[in-house]
Amino acid sequence: MRKNIYLAPSLLAMAIASPAMANDLNINGFLSVGATMLDENKVSVADADEQGSFKQNTVLGLQVQKQINDTTSATGQLVSRGSEGYSTNAAWAFVTYAANDDIDLRMGRLRIPFFQYSDFLEVGYAYNWVRPPSDVYGRVPFSSLDGIDFTQRFSSGSIDGSVQVYYGRFEGPIFINGSTNEADFRNFTGLALSANMGNFGTRLSYHQAEIIMDSDELAAASAGAAGIATMIGDPSAAEDFNFSGQTSQFIAAGLTYDDGAYMAVAEWTALNHESSLLLDDQAWLVSVATRIDQFTPHITYTNEKGSFDSGNEGIIQKALPLLSEQSSITVGLRYDYDSSTALKFEIQNNDETTAAGVDGESATLYSVAVDVIF
Amino acid sequence: MTLLKHSCSALLITIASSMSFAETSVIVSASNPNSTMDQATISRIFLGKAKSFPDGSQALPVDQNTGSKTREAFNSTVLSKSDSQLKSYWSRLIFTGKGTPPKQAGTDAEIKALVANNPNIIGYVDSAAVDGTVKVVHKF
Repeated sequence: MRKNIYLAPSLLAMAIASPAMANDLNINGFLSVGATMLDENKVSVADADEQGSFKQNTVLGLQVQKQINDTTSATGQLVSRGSEGYSTNAAWAFVTYAANDDIDLRMGRLRIPFFQYSDFLEVGYAYNWVRPPSDVYGRVPFSSLDGIDFTQRFSSGSIDGSVQVYYGRFEGPIFINGSTNEADFRNFTGLALSANMGNFGTRLSYHQAEIIMDSDELAAASAGAAGIATMIGDPSAAEDFNFSGQTSQFIAAGLTYDDGAYMAVAEWTALNHESSLLLDDQAWLVSVATRIDQFTPHITYTNEKGSFDSGNEGIIQKALPLLSEQSSITVGLRYDYDSSTALKFEIQNNDETTAAGVDGESATLYSVAVDVIF
Repeated sequence: MTLLKHSCSALLITIASSMSFAETSVIVSASNPNSTMDQATISRIFLGKAKSFPDGSQALPVDQNTGSKTREAFNSTVLSKSDSQLKSYWSRLIFTGKGTPPKQAGTDAEIKALVANNPNIIGYVDSAAVDGTVKVVHKF
């Protein structure tokens, strides 16, 4: 017995000693379950309806990470989503080569660093909301690509941060307005800069890709645009409504503050499309929260607004009609049951000022969720 | 009455000892060539932002078990983060493959034994537990 007591630390020492520690197989997971109820079916929010739904909110993720040698590791994350009929796919699957302590090269399936919360988009435990606000986060209906990225971390005095550059391609189905479209986004490239100083964090990112999408809906809209162009006597304007290989850009800027008792997040984003068939738009959010022991009440405002092109292209866009303008206010409460379980309650009022050119409706979404990490 | 007196003084002693200020030492093995380290360097190692000691050798931080007073003092003084801030910090790194929190390796005695036997390990213990097998690089 006595011997065991002395043995225990030395076994632990062996387990922790390098490179044994580095050779650990790390398995982590997250699970979110929840329910939503919408008071008005005419508005589309989070795939919810008046009947109440459960499966839209269920997300299961499993992550495996293995250090292969001193410089190389492999990471895979499989995510199964109720909103996609529990089909499972890889959010992450990459090999990392650490050139040194501050430089990582990764290749494989990577999360696109569009937003502040992109890296842990589906890990409900990592944020206060039941889901990231859809006015801002829902505008880009895919989150991973296949490619390569380079990350350089830096620190200077009390500031530390990173620069990430990536290149790749996204091929796959994307879900827009309930329909599935085959997409091929080529020469997908971008840059994300982030810096932290004490309780403050800041982030800037830029992304661009050539958009190729096989969609009946878009083809019909494109034909419609050509008709309107002829009608207003400017048939050449129709060329701007083509849809193959035009470049779209995405820009985001964010600020965070967290002093332990108070938290604040602000994020502004813009989409600019070369094709006039997709409306340029801007969306932003501001969220504040306070931690009171295990409770974290929070409030968030979001706003999204499309903007027309100038000239005849803008006239055609209005006639199609394209335009969406919406805002939302979310009030929620997070309760940390223990160090790996959070319970969340949320009420979200969505106000569609205009949707596809016509006056919108407003609706209230009620959500509850349980987020677990393991 | 005597019993009450005794339990009263026992209570007072308990309160006094829990209030007394315990000094914490950040320790490395006696064979680790690094001497003193400032708070910022230690914080970067324990938050996974730096992977090596100032002399370039690999640094492996170990934490005391959750619930230890020494751990709470270390988190708030050296890392300047509350428990919930740390949980949120690590949950955002784990699922992006960017890092894992330091292993929990017990309390004073276990940490001291681990550190003494491996020049790559850095830990923290109550200063009263320090002996010649380890080297103190920072105190608070």
